[in-house]
Amino acid sequence: MPKDLNGFIRHLRQHYPQELLEIDRYVKPKQFEVTAILKHLTNLNRFPTVLFDRCENLCGQDSGIPIVTNIFARRECCALALEFPPDQAQMPLSLHYSHLERQHVDPVVIPEEKAPVKEVVFTGDQVDVGILPIVRHFEMDLGPVLTMIACMRDPDIGAYDASFIKAFYKGPRKLGISIHTPHLERILARYEALGRPAPVIYILGHHPAFSLGSLALTPYERDDYESIGAFLQEPLRLTPSTTWGERFMVPADAEIVIEGEIPPGVREIVDPFGEVTRHYQAQCLRQVMQVTALTRRRQAIMQDIFSGHEEIFNLGALPKEGGIYNTLQAKLGNAVAVHLPHSGVGRLACYISIKKTREGQAKRAGMLALNESVQTQVVVIVDEDIDVFNEPEVIWAVLTAVNPQRDVDLIHNIHTVFTTSFGFNKLIIDATRPLDVAYPAVIKVPDEAMNKIKLSEWLDLDKVRV
Amino acid sequence: MERIFWVACPRCRGKFYCDYDLRFREVKLICPYCENQFFVKESPHIDERN
Repeated sequence: MPKDLNGFIRHLRQHYPQELLEIDRYVKPKQFEVTAILKHLTNLNRFPTVLFDRCENLCGQDSGIPIVTNIFARRECCALALEFPPDQAQMPLSLHYSHLERQHVDPVVIPEEKAPVKEVVFTGDQVDVGILPIVRHFEMDLGPVLTMIACMRDPDIGAYDASFIKAFYKGPRKLGISIHTPHLERILARYEALGRPAPVIYILGHHPAFSLGSLALTPYERDDYESIGAFLQEPLRLTPSTTWGERFMVPADAEIVIEGEIPPGVREIVDPFGEVTRHYQAQCLRQVMQVTALTRRRQAIMQDIFSGHEEIFNLGALPKEGGIYNTLQAKLGNAVAVHLPHSGVGRLACYISIKKTREGQAKRAGMLALNESVQTQVVVIVDEDIDVFNEPEVIWAVLTAVNPQRDVDLIHNIHTVFTTSFGFNKLIIDATRPLDVAYPAVIKVPDEAMNKIKLSEWLDLDKVRV
Repeated sequence: MERIFWVACPRCRGKFYCDYDLRFREVKLICPYCENQFFVKESPHIDERN
């Protein structure tokens, strides 16, 4: 059986029921009910994958389409998506991601009549994107927004690129679409230079390995359909699109695909939308997508991403951690671990632990990390005994080992992606213990005593409630 | 940081912000609260402090 979203949900239900929460009460996504439930769960420090069985569409009717969201909120669930042990969801998972990123698997083509995503097909005036249960996420959002994956194809070299992109409902056959990732921008610029409408598809659900694979940091010329196959660990099945046939192939096992074109030079109002950084993207002018077809499985499940929360943070961190680690190992050889914490929305901050052998190595690590991750604003380098996945430990290192006159470097006028109050500046903080001065030791209970005491022989841990 | 300016919808008085690129364009903004469309100059409140 080819991998798909329903199969993954079934796998969770059967083998990891604690990861899945199913809600069968009728929900109205355009009235913020989906995100209100997710936010309540977040406030309780709970991050299950949530399946809403009965959802209202934009037309005020029962859509007949469930919504699944929050799949990526836990690294353990991301590990399950990649068939990796969930108890190794920290650095080992990041290294596994970077390993998959270097692989590729050629896709296979199946005929349209065998493609699940073509079980139901709407074209022309039959298309109404409003039949979908599109989520309205945050108070200042312009309206309901689709938050999944857009895919375009370079007109010259033919490579496909898939990226997470938001799309605003603007009418039955129109979406406001914000093309802002480097590869998709490049493809769009090419079509605009040619004066031609740019074909684009929007993929509203697939096996989560598909989504994780779409985030792989690969060269522009690499076909994302091949990269995604590596993450699925099987060839991605493709089928001809309804609008363009074999000139544009779509994932055959997707849940829902919207096909359309971006007319050159047309811009309309989109945003605000609650973004990755937990601020709203300001209202602005962006492209529009004229929808030409909507195809779906008969029993489709629509996926949504809970932006500005744990799910989107992990989608930022996982693709970068392994890559930064590999770069550090290649250039320095003393990296221990890399983590992009949720406090930095999985992008803005990078914590690195190294086995330092001489002064200056920490700053080199910081510069290499900034070069590798354009979105990162602050890099903190700590010693090998600091767990970069334990943020209080990292902050302790900053507060006790940093000499601001020597260990903090502000770099001006450097390219970045998210413009927060940091602007176009970056910061490297060397929080490693200095080797060239007499320095105090960290307190420690002797290993002998720690090994001798087995807690189970002294107390009943079940009775320890705080 | 990208420059923004805050406006208020002349109909519902709901406040939201826009990319500064829109500040002097003849483009109708869309209120996210009531969907009213209006020009920047119609906003009873503009905060463009920089």
